[in-house]
Amino acid sequence: MNESENDFESLRRLLAIKRHEIPPPGYFNNFPGQVMARVRAGETDAPEGITAPSWLLKFIQAFEAKPAYVSSFACSLCLLLLFGIVYAERPDGTEKPSLLTAFAPSSASLVEAKSADFSSSAQTTGLMINTNPVLSLQPVGALFSRQNPLAQPMNVSLQWPGN
Amino acid sequence: MAEPAARHDPEPSAPVDEESLVRRARRGDLEAYDELVRRYQERIYATIYHMTSNHEDANDLAQESFVKAFQALKTFKGGSSFYTWLYRIAVNKTINFLKQRKNRTHMSLNDLDFNAEHDPDLVALISDKTPRRDAGLTELQEKLNAAMLKLSEPHRLVVVLHDVQGLSHDEIARIMECNIGTVRSRLFYARQQLQGYLSDYLRPS
Repeated sequence: MNESENDFESLRRLLAIKRHEIPPPGYFNNFPGQVMARVRAGETDAPEGITAPSWLLKFIQAFEAKPAYVSSFACSLCLLLLFGIVYAERPDGTEKPSLLTAFAPSSASLVEAKSADFSSSAQTTGLMINTNPVLSLQPVGALFSRQNPLAQPMNVSLQWPGN
Repeated sequence: MAEPAARHDPEPSAPVDEESLVRRARRGDLEAYDELVRRYQERIYATIYHMTSNHEDANDLAQESFVKAFQALKTFKGGSSFYTWLYRIAVNKTINFLKQRKNRTHMSLNDLDFNAEHDPDLVALISDKTPRRDAGLTELQEKLNAAMLKLSEPHRLVVVLHDVQGLSHDEIARIMECNIGTVRSRLFYARQQLQGYLSDYLRPS
């Protein structure tokens, strides 16, 4: 080993330059103050009462750099959400619709039910359902079909004075 | 085996004193931690600086290392000395930083101090026996840093800790969490590499 040390003697002399590299004057006078300011800032940013509980931090740390875990966890969350929606849509819990078919029919029936409700209320208030913006708000039969009881037919003859 | 040229004592003060400072800092005593920062700032900064060859990066990383060490003090079990533990934090942070930076190296070198011109080792290097006798100290500094950056991080770290910082093989093994044989082989390989890169500036043996 001594031989190899001698082989590198010239290199070690050159490496001595590194020991003469010094930061700007006064740098180490300010350094502790900057560190302690960051330490204090870290303490005020996250006081004891607001910090996340340790179990939550461990839980989050468990997912760091583990994309497979994250994606499987996200998939299971989505499945749970889907099940929640499906069960919330069903009026009673007696029959269990399959996962694939249950969602679409229940949405269609919801739309039908809503439109039926709206049509019946439109009938009672005399509103006509139409996509035409002019006609859609007109009461049904308001223009021609409903007869005014006070209106009587009368004969009118127009004669010009000269005739 | 020849001892490194500039030998730094890794634990400059009494261990008891350091222990009590660490104990107080763990309880949240910021004055005690400020004392620990003052005690180790130069060596932590220097290690990171020699690894990055960039003052601004070294400043950021050194500050982050001390902040992280304070936050992690409660997990410090005392199995190693605080100094070794702090060194490990700084070294890991620096290696992670260098891996992210990859080849985007930008040197921002510190100035050489006044004593460099009178260092007998350096005077000998720029004497007439050196192949590149016209090279000045600043040029040598740039070439040396550029050559260091060509080494892999573990090899560069061993050179920095042993040949620049003056730590023993045993201390380096504890910091890098590897055995002494690995430290020695890495040091030998790194020196060989450096010698190849800097052959124009070295006196032939």
